[in-house]
Amino acid sequence: MKKSQYKALVDILTYVALGLGALTMLLPFLWMISVSLREPAQQYARDLIPNPFTLQNYVDLFEDLPNQAFPYLVFNSFKISLLAVIGQILTCAMAAFVFAIVKFRGRDFLFALLLATLMIPPQVSLIPNFIIFKYLHVIGTQWPLILPAFWGGAFGTFLLRQYFLTIPRDLVDAARMDGASLFDVFWRIYLPLSKPAVAALAIFAFKDSWNDLLHPLVYLPTDLHQTTLTVGLAFFQQQLQLGGKFTVLMAGAFLSIVPLLIIFFVAQRQFIEGIALSGVKR
Amino acid sequence: MKSALFVVVLVSLLLAACGGGKAAAPLGPADVTFMMWGAPEEQTVWQAVVDDFHAAQPNVRVKVEVSDWDSYWTKLNTLIAGGTPPDVFAMDAPLYLDWQSRGALLNLQPFIDANPGLLDGFYPQTLSAYKLEDGYYGLPRDFQTVVVFYNKDMFDAAGMSYPPADWTYDDLLATAKELTKDTNGDGNIDQYGLWTDTWDMELFWSEAIWAYGGEIISADHASTLIGEGGARDAWKFIDSIYKAGAMPNPTSAGEYGTDLFQAGAAAMTTIGHWAVPGYVGAKLNFGVAPMPKGPKGAATSVNSAGFVVSKDSKNPEAAFGFIKFALGAAGQKRLAELGFAIPVLKAVAESDAYLKQPGDLDQKLFLDSLAFAHVKPVFKGYEEWAAVIGDGLIPVFDGEAPLETTLDEVVTAADEVLAKNK
Amino acid sequence: MEYGLKPLGRERLWLWSMLTPTILGLVFGTIGSLLATLVLSFFDWDLIGSPVWAGVSNYVALAQNHAYIEAFVNTLTFSALYVPGVVISSLLVAVLLNRKIHGVGIFRTVYFLPTVTSAVATALVWNMIYGRDTGILNFMLQSVGLGPLCWLCTDHAMTSVVIVNIWGAIGEGMIIFLAGLTAIPRDYYEAAALDGANDVQQFLRITLPLVTPSIFFQTIISAINAFQAYDYIYMLTRRSGGDSSVPVAVFSIYRNAFHFFRMGDASAQAIQLALLVGVFMAIMFWWERHYVVYE
Repeated sequence: MKKSQYKALVDILTYVALGLGALTMLLPFLWMISVSLREPAQQYARDLIPNPFTLQNYVDLFEDLPNQAFPYLVFNSFKISLLAVIGQILTCAMAAFVFAIVKFRGRDFLFALLLATLMIPPQVSLIPNFIIFKYLHVIGTQWPLILPAFWGGAFGTFLLRQYFLTIPRDLVDAARMDGASLFDVFWRIYLPLSKPAVAALAIFAFKDSWNDLLHPLVYLPTDLHQTTLTVGLAFFQQQLQLGGKFTVLMAGAFLSIVPLLIIFFVAQRQFIEGIALSGVKR
Repeated sequence: MKSALFVVVLVSLLLAACGGGKAAAPLGPADVTFMMWGAPEEQTVWQAVVDDFHAAQPNVRVKVEVSDWDSYWTKLNTLIAGGTPPDVFAMDAPLYLDWQSRGALLNLQPFIDANPGLLDGFYPQTLSAYKLEDGYYGLPRDFQTVVVFYNKDMFDAAGMSYPPADWTYDDLLATAKELTKDTNGDGNIDQYGLWTDTWDMELFWSEAIWAYGGEIISADHASTLIGEGGARDAWKFIDSIYKAGAMPNPTSAGEYGTDLFQAGAAAMTTIGHWAVPGYVGAKLNFGVAPMPKGPKGAATSVNSAGFVVSKDSKNPEAAFGFIKFALGAAGQKRLAELGFAIPVLKAVAESDAYLKQPGDLDQKLFLDSLAFAHVKPVFKGYEEWAAVIGDGLIPVFDGEAPLETTLDEVVTAADEVLAKNK
Repeated sequence: MEYGLKPLGRERLWLWSMLTPTILGLVFGTIGSLLATLVLSFFDWDLIGSPVWAGVSNYVALAQNHAYIEAFVNTLTFSALYVPGVVISSLLVAVLLNRKIHGVGIFRTVYFLPTVTSAVATALVWNMIYGRDTGILNFMLQSVGLGPLCWLCTDHAMTSVVIVNIWGAIGEGMIIFLAGLTAIPRDYYEAAALDGANDVQQFLRITLPLVTPSIFFQTIISAINAFQAYDYIYMLTRRSGGDSSVPVAVFSIYRNAFHFFRMGDASAQAIQLALLVGVFMAIMFWWERHYVVYE
């Protein structure tokens, strides 16, 4: 009796602790939505549920941006992020496969070098990269934002490699004995088996591309029809912050995270299992 | 190559002039990129200016790109470092020397010489920042003077009369103290008598220093003078406003947004004409008054935003053609209607286009303030120097460091920056 | 490591073509940038003209650059607070979630939410939350009788900023630790329980040692994030004039490169930051050899 009572007590405490923590995680989002639904005069009010309730801030967002730019901004962000995801999945997976499966001279060194790239902040690599793209004559287009996704990446490769390491090697040997090329093994066996990890990478890659401010700012024309949501909102926020128009600011902020939230909810089961299973066990 | 082009331009301009008539010689075909910082509304109006220009010069296409302040400098620096500078870009006068001395700008003197009388109608104070020994490397596009804005509703609610034309800094402090209150009785102050930016000199502390008889920097740009004589008294005064609680200290002001006057949390502010559209948009009932007098008289700051052309521009004559248009009567009129800044052409500034804008704001005050305005200093290393002073004094205003010693430290550090930038 | 098959003949072709994009990326994107930054650090470049040779003067100047030293110290302080904070709290959350309780999926989603969102967007809300006169945090404090704090003023800014960053990163750590925890066989716990060990003892003797691989990974990732932290800090503490009340290393690098015309100094600062990361990683690998337990 005492044992199960004890367990019940611990369970309750666990729920309470997790619940409080969850509230802390959620509060800023709830607050963001709440403020975005308020009248400007109420922006500092302390109640969570706005009263009166209004959608005007969202309307303002669409109207205030010159040339009805909002749909363009969203479309551009979406297109670039989608392409970035495809690029990352393809190239990181291929590299991860090689690092996980094949033994070749210099493998560990190359892998360490790859990890070393995490050491450099993006602000630093901006100008050298810019010069490279200038020589490729792609400044002013979306290519500088899409191409790097097709060059692999440290985080994605690391993530997928860990996952690939957990897939039994016999599958590879069997396939090779049947005459399959390395690429076949990769494309037909490993990739399909790695849906969770791939989903995980997809979410991270999409998020990084969607939230990127620095690179679209520099490479894309500042024309509100051609740039991304982050740049457009930054342009806007300066004005809104002048008057402390937090209600419209929150509407914009919330809209900028909605696509991520949607994608996350859709992919979350796959995704959480993905990271979980790619683990760190050796 | 460049000189050949220049000759062609000169000859065709001469021919056009000889042909009588004010029509500019046709330029182009050329694509010109024009970058500037500004508000979303400015994008629309500059697009209108560009369209007007395109009507006059159908072979030139100007692409105007407006960004917010932070993004603007990041992008500009990257484009220039990468070797793809915009043809025309906006420059803030104090930063002008930094760019010019590093060889980024095209000398516009040849174009100016080819257009005699181009600069005649300008306010001379706006031109002085851009003039160097070998010519103008930039031209002002509009100018700003700083005045006091006050919230009429808050004054009325407190039963106080509006600031008179000859009031002093002591009057300002007293008024600000009276207008700092807790209006909804919750124990927290939610209305401050005064709010202004004390980081960059333009909005308050340069005016105070000049009004107290001090100076900012030596004529040879080698010593910082803000710690001497009248300037020290000015700082003591500024510090006293913070200590009296009439101004929120810099660090905690952020929760109201970046402009407390616009947010309705301050009764007075000192700022330039660029804030007017925002205040109008926020439906504030406000008026303007001249900057207060100090012991040594009245003083305010005059500054300008300008056009510069990149040294490596591929279309310098088309670029200058655009500048010339924007500085002409038609362009300046459009910009006056924008409401953000004051036209540099006297004729336009003193005309209805500027003076009779919607609302009953005393537009003339901004012009009259020129009479006692000092030009905002322009020197190499401005941004770094301003950062040292601005950052350095914040602890004083937050109440965490003593004024006297911190001021001395700041002056020493500022002089180091000047030395580095010789 | 021992794994790996040896490619035969034609397979070599596949090997290299599958690696080509990554190698290209390494050459252009990152080695290129790293090398370029290293080289630039020995020059003075104002971005407009040509770079001018400067020898080691940029590095020497680092020691005298008060603004940079402050930023560097802030980065160290921030990291010292943030890394243990994130590692411990996400480990705790993972341990709690590893028990058999209902609604695990929902909890996992909720805890992961902050990680998926944009720092720029959520920092705006945090600005409101932290407001001294208007923020809800102070409202909650005042309603239980405690005084309002100035969260973003100098005495508390560092802590406030650390809290926000931890908030934004718990989800990631939680996932990593959950993975590591699920790898520990249940038999161990059952055997220990049979021997009379209580929960705490089980945690200390079984869980902790066996989760060290995850701790190792997560600490490195968190440290790298900490050294390069920028978004939240900048959005919460920025002042007019482009300054910040809690400047950190990346902030200083950015200002020097894009506002002060000092690309050489910025590069030197970036290299020093990279060295810091390298040193830290070396320390972590030493720790791994002695303390991390793989089965």
